[in-house]
Amino acid sequence: MREARSVYLSVVIPVSSEIGDLPEIYRRFSEQLERFGRRYEFIFVADGVDLQTFEVLEELQRRHDDVKIIKFNRVFGEAISLSAGFEIARGEIIITLASFMQTHPEDLPALLQEIEAGADMVIGWRHPRIDPVLNRWQSGVFNWITRRLTKFPLHDLNCSLRVIRRQVVSAIPIYGDQFRFLPILAHRQGFRVKELPVRHVEERGTTGLYGLGSYVRRLMDILTLFFLVKFTKKPLRFFGLIGSTLLGLGLIINLYLTAVRLLGQAIGDRPMLLLGVLLMVLGIQVVSIGLVGEIIIFAHAKKIKEYHIEKILE
Amino acid sequence: MGSPGETIDLSIIVPVFNEQENVRPLFKKLDAVLQNLNRTYEVIFIDDGSRDETFRRLEELHARHAHLKIIKLRRNFGQTPAMAAGFDAARGEVIVTLDGDLQNDPADIPRLLERIEQGYEVVSGWRIHRRDAFITRILPSRMANWLIGRITGVRIHDYGCTLKAYRRSVIKNLHLYAEMHRFVPAMTTITGARVGELAVNHHPRIHGRSKYGISRIGKVILDLLTVKLLIRFSPNPGHWFGIFSLPFWIIGTFIGLWSVRMALRPHPEGFSIILPALGAVMLFTAFFLILLGLLGELVVKTGSYHIAQINRPVMKEN
Repeated sequence: MREARSVYLSVVIPVSSEIGDLPEIYRRFSEQLERFGRRYEFIFVADGVDLQTFEVLEELQRRHDDVKIIKFNRVFGEAISLSAGFEIARGEIIITLASFMQTHPEDLPALLQEIEAGADMVIGWRHPRIDPVLNRWQSGVFNWITRRLTKFPLHDLNCSLRVIRRQVVSAIPIYGDQFRFLPILAHRQGFRVKELPVRHVEERGTTGLYGLGSYVRRLMDILTLFFLVKFTKKPLRFFGLIGSTLLGLGLIINLYLTAVRLLGQAIGDRPMLLLGVLLMVLGIQVVSIGLVGEIIIFAHAKKIKEYHIEKILE
Repeated sequence: MGSPGETIDLSIIVPVFNEQENVRPLFKKLDAVLQNLNRTYEVIFIDDGSRDETFRRLEELHARHAHLKIIKLRRNFGQTPAMAAGFDAARGEVIVTLDGDLQNDPADIPRLLERIEQGYEVVSGWRIHRRDAFITRILPSRMANWLIGRITGVRIHDYGCTLKAYRRSVIKNLHLYAEMHRFVPAMTTITGARVGELAVNHHPRIHGRSKYGISRIGKVILDLLTVKLLIRFSPNPGHWFGIFSLPFWIIGTFIGLWSVRMALRPHPEGFSIILPALGAVMLFTAFFLILLGLLGELVVKTGSYHIAQINRPVMKEN
C-alpha cells in the first residue's frame, strides 16, 4: 500500500468566465511547487463559468490528478468562491491565485519561505504597477485610506497572491467583500502578517472608472471596517459621539432662540427653531441606535471572544 | 472549559504581561500557600502577549509542576480579555484572581476562602495600607471607588484590587468584554449575590513597571454607566423605549392639535408652517423610538441566552 503523504499546500483559484489562462497558470505555478518538494493540490472554483471555460478545467483535471473543481451554477463572486475553496482545501497552507498571470510564479517561493520562517499570512504587493494610471491611482487611494484607519502598513489589499496558514482561515470567518481585509483582521487577532513586493505581470478587468455602485460598496466596506475596528465592543461610543454632537449643536441653537424669545421677539416662525429641534431629535435617535447596538453586543456576549489563544500548556 | 463534570475546589487566575522577574517568585509563594490548604487546586497563568522572557519562565515552571496551566494569547489583548480567558478555562468551585506583579499577597488566599465560606458569593480584597504614590494613585482611586459605589449601589472600598474570590456559579454566567472586569462585583449583585470584603496586604512593586492601571477614569465611569444601563434595561428594551417615547407623543400631539386650532381660525394670518413641522418631527421621533424598541425586543427575545443568564438569581437548594 502506497504511503499517502498528506497534502501540505492547497492552491485556490476562483475562476470567472471573462478571464482565464488556466493551463498556463497550472503549469507554471505547479512547477514552482514541485521544486518546493511538498505535496500540493489545485482547487479551481468555477464561479458560474460558461461551458467553454469549464471544459478547459475538466481537461486539466483529466490530465492531472491533483486538480479539483468546485462548480457553482451561477456567479457568486470572489469572496464566496474563496470560502468554498478554503472549505475543501486539505492543506496546512493555502495559496490563493488569480485565474490569469497577475503575478510572476517565480515570486511564490519567497512568500512560502516567509511562512516557513514563522509568518501566518503573507500577501503580495504589486510593485511596480503596470495597469493604467487611473486604476493605479484609485487603488492607491483605497489602500491609503485603509492604512490610515487601521494603522497597519499594507499597500496592496487587492493583490490576489496570498499565502495563508489554515488556522488563520479557520479563525476568521469571511463575510461578503471583507476578504479584502483578511490581512488586517488577522493582524488584529495577533497573527503575524507580512507583505512582500512582487512583480506585476499583467492585469485584466475594467480599466478606468468602475461603476458608481462599486465605489459606494468600497466606501461602505471601509466605513464598516473602521467601525468594526474601533468600536466593535462599544457601539455606544461611536453613535454616542455622533449623537451627542448633534444634540449639542441643537441645544446651542435652541438656547440661543430661547434667549431671543425671552428678550421679546417671536420665534414661532423661524426656520432656525425647526433646525434646532431637528438636530436635537436626530441626536437622540442616533444615541438610541447606539443603545440598540450595545444591546446586540451584550446579548451575544457569549459568542464574543476578545482573546485569541496561541497555545495552552495543560 | 475543562472536562465537564470534573470540577475541582479551587482555581487561581493570574494574568501577566511582561513580568519575567515576577512569575517565578509569585508561583513559589502561591504553591507554598496552596499546598497547605487541603483542597484540589489549579493555577492558571495567562500570558497576555508578553514580549520578554515571561513565557519561557512559565514554560520552565510548567515542566516541573503539575498544578500549573499556561494560556498563551497571540498578542496583548488587555486585562479583561486575559481574565476572561482564565475564567473560561477555570474548573474550580471557587475562583481567585490575582495580580501578576507580586503586589497582592498569596498568603491572603486562605482568609479569602474562609470569607467565601461564611456565605458570600464574591469577596473583594481591600488594600487597607496601600503602598503607592498618594496623589497619582491612591487619591484618584478613592474617588473612583466612591463614584462607582454610588452608581452601582455596591459600596466596596477597593474596586481596583485584583485580589478577589468568586464562586463558580456567578462567574460562569458572566461573559466579560470591554473593561468589565472592574465591575464584576457590581454586576453580580443583580443576581442577589452577596459581596463581601476582606482587608488584604499590599506590597509595593519591586520589579518592573505597572502595566494595568486605572488611569482613564472618565471612560471607566462611562462604561460603568453603560453596563448598569444594559443590565437594567436589556431584558425589556421595548418597555423602556416605549416610556422614553411618551414625552414625544404628548408634545407632538399637543402641538398638532394647537396647529389645527390655529389653522381653523377665520383669519389665519401669519400662520407659520414651522409649528406643525415641529409637531410632525416630534411624532415621527416617537414612532421611531417605538420601532427601535421593537428591534431591541427582536434581538433580546430571540434566544439571547446571555441576558437570561446574567439575570438569573443566585439559588441555593436546601
